[in-house]
Amino acid sequence: MGAVDRLGVGIGWRAEIDLTVERLPDVDFVEVVAENLHVEHLPESIVLLRERGVPVLPHAVSLSLGSADPVDAHRVEHLGAVAEALGAPLVSDHVCFVRAGGLDSGHLMPVPRTRDALDVLVANVRTAQANLPVPLALENIAALLEWPDGELTEGQFLAELVERTDCFLLIDVANLHANARNLGTDPNRFLDEIPLERLAYVHVAGGVETDGVYHDTHAHAVHPEVLDLLGELRSRVDPPGVLLERDDNYPSDSELAAEMAAIRAVLAGHG
Amino acid sequence: MTDGARERLAEAQSELLTALLAGGPSPTGFDERLLRVEARSLLAKRRGVVAVLAPDAVDELADRFRPLFDEYALSHPRTSGSRAREDAAAFTDWARARGALPPVKPKRWWRRNQA
Repeated sequence: MGAVDRLGVGIGWRAEIDLTVERLPDVDFVEVVAENLHVEHLPESIVLLRERGVPVLPHAVSLSLGSADPVDAHRVEHLGAVAEALGAPLVSDHVCFVRAGGLDSGHLMPVPRTRDALDVLVANVRTAQANLPVPLALENIAALLEWPDGELTEGQFLAELVERTDCFLLIDVANLHANARNLGTDPNRFLDEIPLERLAYVHVAGGVETDGVYHDTHAHAVHPEVLDLLGELRSRVDPPGVLLERDDNYPSDSELAAEMAAIRAVLAGHG
Repeated sequence: MTDGARERLAEAQSELLTALLAGGPSPTGFDERLLRVEARSLLAKRRGVVAVLAPDAVDELADRFRPLFDEYALSHPRTSGSRAREDAAAFTDWARARGALPPVKPKRWWRRNQA
């Protein structure tokens, strides 16, 4: 069990903000959505960032490792190929499912926190790991609903997943906030229960609250409560990396720079 | 893995997605309000993706886009492995077949197979 090398503070690379990402000051690393990349035709901006020595980490959204369906070998193979093309130290996806019974939800769905679901997830993660060239980190999602009859808390579920697969964790503090707000989960207990020594990096993102429901949109400003949770995490561990995700309704460069600066301030505040 | 874990999970996941995406019955034990919130959220995301991929149809349909898309979506849940572009094309074909969008303009003469 090793640790992840220091990554620093980064931002999610998206084609719409490629120039912004290139000219923002102090971008220590970036993340790309693996499904959007073709290994043979990497975007010029990504090639440029790699030439500058900026680590580019592939982030997948479609492995559906929490699905009862068998792991899709082609999707794993693509993720691995992207990692090799980028010289990435690790790859990631989510603790979720997107496909079941021939249907595709189009978004990350929570898995039941049962022994059955954990066993299936562990088997799927091991299959993926066996076919990936680099370590795999798995992320907690923002869920809008909860399965009945959960046998484990989310923290316990992730802790056991790590123990049984040796995967890394990608902790999204905005998702933690979303689940606290929408489902009443306790983020502090979550942070107490997960193996923080296996933390690869952290996601921070914005959202919006409508009709009493917090939506993890990645299209609005980062809420102060999310930065508070980053501070809570930082009080327990010095994360190897923290990455800002913005996927739509892109603000000015200076607003993105300010959000990254706010992240740095939270991290430094606990130095 | 315990015997049957995958089968039991498959059934539960399939039941949930059928309820959320295709108007199937609510699975036992879920909060009805949260099922509605999730179903609306998934539909809004799918509608937003199609709106980006089919801007002409959105312009043409204007206020009718949302109710029409929502009707289409419920009767045509996304299938595993389908692509967003295919979804957008299937929606415009569906809307055209109902007369909500004008017929396709004739394509260039050398393209014999029209979509």
